[in-house]
Amino acid sequence: MRSASFARLVLGGLAGLAALVMGCGNDPYPPSDATARVLYGSFVDAPKSLDPAVAYSQREHAITGAVYDTLLEYHFLKRPLELIPGLAAALPEVTDLGGGRSRWRFELRPDLLFHDDPCFTLSAPEARTRRITSADFAFSLARIADPKVGSPVIEPFSNIEDFQAFGERLAARRASDPEFAALPVHAQYRLVGPIAGVATPADSILEITLARPYPQIKYWFAMEFSAPVPWEAIAYYDGEQGRPRFDDHPVGSGPFQLTRYDKRAIFVLEKSANWYGVRHPEWRAPGAVYPSEGEERDRAAGRLESAGRPLPMIERIEMRREKEDIPRFNKFMQGYYDNSGIAAENFDTVIREGALSPEMEALGIALDKEVSPTIFFLGFNMDDPVVGRGRDAAARKRNRLLRQAMSLAIDGEEFLRIFLNGRGVPAQSPIPPNIYGYDPDYRNPFRTPDLERARVLRAAAGYRGGVDPATGEALRLTFDSYNTTTAGLIQHQYYTNAWKKLGLDVRIEAVTYNQFQDKLRNGAHQVFEFGWGADYPDPENFLFLFWSAMRNSASGGPNYANFADDRFDALFLEMKVMENGPARMAKIREMIAILEDERPWIELMVREDYLLRHGWLANVKPSGLSIPTYQYLDIDVERRAELRVAWNEPIVWPLYVLSAGAVLVVIPGVLTYLKERQ
Amino acid sequence: MSGIEPYMVSNGATLLLLAGVGFAVRIVRRNRLWREAAASLWRRRRLALCVLAVYFVIALLDSVAWKGGVPEHAVGVLPNAPHSIVDRFFLDTTEASYSAPFAAVEFYGDRPLRHPGAHPLGTDIIGRDVLYMALKGARVALLIGGLTSLIAIPLALMFGVGAGYFGGRFDDFVFFLISTLASMPGLLLLIALIMAMGRGTVSVCVALGVTSWVGFCRLSRAETLKLRELDFVRAARVLGVSEPRIIFRHILPNLAHLIVITFVLMFSGLVLSEAVLSWLGIGVDGSWGQMIDGARDELSREPIVWWNIAAAGTALFTLILAVNTVGDSIRDVLDPRTQGDAP
Repeated sequence: MRSASFARLVLGGLAGLAALVMGCGNDPYPPSDATARVLYGSFVDAPKSLDPAVAYSQREHAITGAVYDTLLEYHFLKRPLELIPGLAAALPEVTDLGGGRSRWRFELRPDLLFHDDPCFTLSAPEARTRRITSADFAFSLARIADPKVGSPVIEPFSNIEDFQAFGERLAARRASDPEFAALPVHAQYRLVGPIAGVATPADSILEITLARPYPQIKYWFAMEFSAPVPWEAIAYYDGEQGRPRFDDHPVGSGPFQLTRYDKRAIFVLEKSANWYGVRHPEWRAPGAVYPSEGEERDRAAGRLESAGRPLPMIERIEMRREKEDIPRFNKFMQGYYDNSGIAAENFDTVIREGALSPEMEALGIALDKEVSPTIFFLGFNMDDPVVGRGRDAAARKRNRLLRQAMSLAIDGEEFLRIFLNGRGVPAQSPIPPNIYGYDPDYRNPFRTPDLERARVLRAAAGYRGGVDPATGEALRLTFDSYNTTTAGLIQHQYYTNAWKKLGLDVRIEAVTYNQFQDKLRNGAHQVFEFGWGADYPDPENFLFLFWSAMRNSASGGPNYANFADDRFDALFLEMKVMENGPARMAKIREMIAILEDERPWIELMVREDYLLRHGWLANVKPSGLSIPTYQYLDIDVERRAELRVAWNEPIVWPLYVLSAGAVLVVIPGVLTYLKERQ
Repeated sequence: MSGIEPYMVSNGATLLLLAGVGFAVRIVRRNRLWREAAASLWRRRRLALCVLAVYFVIALLDSVAWKGGVPEHAVGVLPNAPHSIVDRFFLDTTEASYSAPFAAVEFYGDRPLRHPGAHPLGTDIIGRDVLYMALKGARVALLIGGLTSLIAIPLALMFGVGAGYFGGRFDDFVFFLISTLASMPGLLLLIALIMAMGRGTVSVCVALGVTSWVGFCRLSRAETLKLRELDFVRAARVLGVSEPRIIFRHILPNLAHLIVITFVLMFSGLVLSEAVLSWLGIGVDGSWGQMIDGARDELSREPIVWWNIAAAGTALFTLILAVNTVGDSIRDVLDPRTQGDAP
């Protein structure tokens, strides 16, 4: 009797467990969000700073690009990229003031508001937001000039009259007057006086005066650096009394507001009710309405079907941190992420002959490919006595021949095939595709691998058999990198093995990013690996990496190769201010010819981004620039909910088998035990 | 080229090691207790000892290097660089990328290999022979296990025996030290030490050594506490024998079995710890841990690349199994408390 009741208890428990499991699913989101217009995605690296004056990486722009709106922005569909008005009512009027000076006049849209935020109580006790005026733009520009902020883009904005001098005045006053230094920054800026080249004649008018020709300034007004920032946010979010710091709590005026931010786990952006596109759909502003013009491929891809609809089309964005490729991809395949990149390991499952595999197509998954204007290269430190420019003519020639030989040993196409499944284009010059000056027919004579020719050049450089005559040993060089992972090491070994074929002994020195930066600053590097992504679609943004004024060793600029050539500099300064056309193209070709011969870089590759998305996610078009375009996305939420359920049907039969096994094994055992005890 | 180069140090260390092995063999042969223990060990674990001998020989062959004697036409080989005996078996064997064991074409893309059918364990993503890498890993593993034990065991003995023998404030200090170290998360301490000292074989060995002596220190302290009260130690003290002499003459010899057992058991743990460090990106170049880390995502490739992880995993598993098996037997043979329990 006792044993029978125990058996009933066990069976009942198992039945209850089975019922419980039947009701369980693997959906990580609350049921109430099943049909909400929420974009689900992932991120890998935690953002460092969300201060728009400082944030300069894709991981940061994924948030700041949505939170901060700019005077100008890029047309979503047109290629080459085209600027359209954003917070500005129209593109700026440019007036030539003579002597290379020019005035850029922006007229702001009326009735622009910041996001709701408690910081605005500093200006009015009950205020939740306030109107954006031209003074807010002037404040943002002053922050870029402020040396204490540490903005990485002081140089391009220094073309504004008095910009650098303002920063110097500010620093000097802070150093000499402690009382001044203790004031809130907006008060300091006011006391030091405005930047002469930034005028605000009316609340809706912003006038920028450039001291010298710099037409690329317009692109900087399409980037978050120049987005309006309320002074209240800087004063309020100081990290004191439980308040976050401003670089963790952005207050902007963009289409989305950051409502949850745990940089190690998740960030949530919600549609802002204060955004001008939401408050004034009747304006039909170009940045607030889905475009009706685009490329032919946009029509074919269905990207023009949303033409004329007000933006944004989604209500919320949830990004979760996924450090590993495989779990991220698996969640995408389960439908829990709407889009995904493709890890090299999954590539052959997903892609067949450059297109989606039939299995993926059957799931309704779509593939968007875009050559990203980001170039990866191996650089030489031109200040180095062995691989650099050399002190005299003989050393100059010898080192140049060595660089040319090393360039010929690296096969960019094979690198792409081995490490990136062929996703990309072997780079021939520093200018990537989709940037003016890129010539698809150009073949760099030192970027077509040729080991025999490389050996001839190496011997001409004085390293017969790779042997350094000074030591009688193989010429020893160091390869510096900030990638310390095993995968990174294998890539580095790919390069060093290639140079080993020339008899060169190149040793890998992989260090942390900070140590690598120190090495660059101190000129303690020899051969190094780096990449550069376009800030804006202009060749100046790539060729300035060779301008001597940008030498890292001299000015801390991004010319990490420390390349300096008078002829190149002269051509650069001429090209920089020219409009696109045959004359500019001729200058660019001449500059590329100098780089071709001098070889401060071994151009490696331009990556092609492969983005996977589920069929329910519409209007995805990568721009190649670090600009999020969440507001253009649309989601068929019913379809998503339906497919998620279908793809994640719990497989319960193993549980039944296990339960049956448990019944068969445990119950007789327990019954026998109880019987024996009686 | 003047000065002492790393390969010369390696050659010298190998000679010293061989001399040390010869010395140890001589001691074992002259001492009846050790001789019987060695014979008993050989009877019990012949296969495991043979496996260890194979690893040891491979590591020795990879530790002896010299310059010259490299064919001029060999691609990707530095002619004036030192090459070990193992290196010389695998000169000029690299391919462009992955190839399966004994394959004639590349794994992805079917391009013909430079050396078709010549890679018994295939090649990795940049075309290196996996058998060669697996053999090279043996030296790294033995170096990590051996060098780290040579750091950790003397450290543990110095503090453990000192604390146990002298007691008092020194004992308090040692106990405070080991309690403090034991309460720190070992992995975090390891990472911090390696980051501070920089990556490299010696740094990893020092970091592992510094973090792994605490257990044996407690053991040697407890054992010394017991030994110092025994009659022969008391007698020595009464006869006016100096304390260092008592420690070296009477205490340490009686800890010899513990030292040998700890060395062997610690060895396998240290080799596995390096694999964990490699997983975290701070291991030693050329280790099996690094091979496993580099190959971890290859299992999700389509078609799957299994030979890298299989080779490194098998080499690691076999060494650890052999060491653990021999370690257990050494304990059975040397520890008086387990005498008679063993088969």
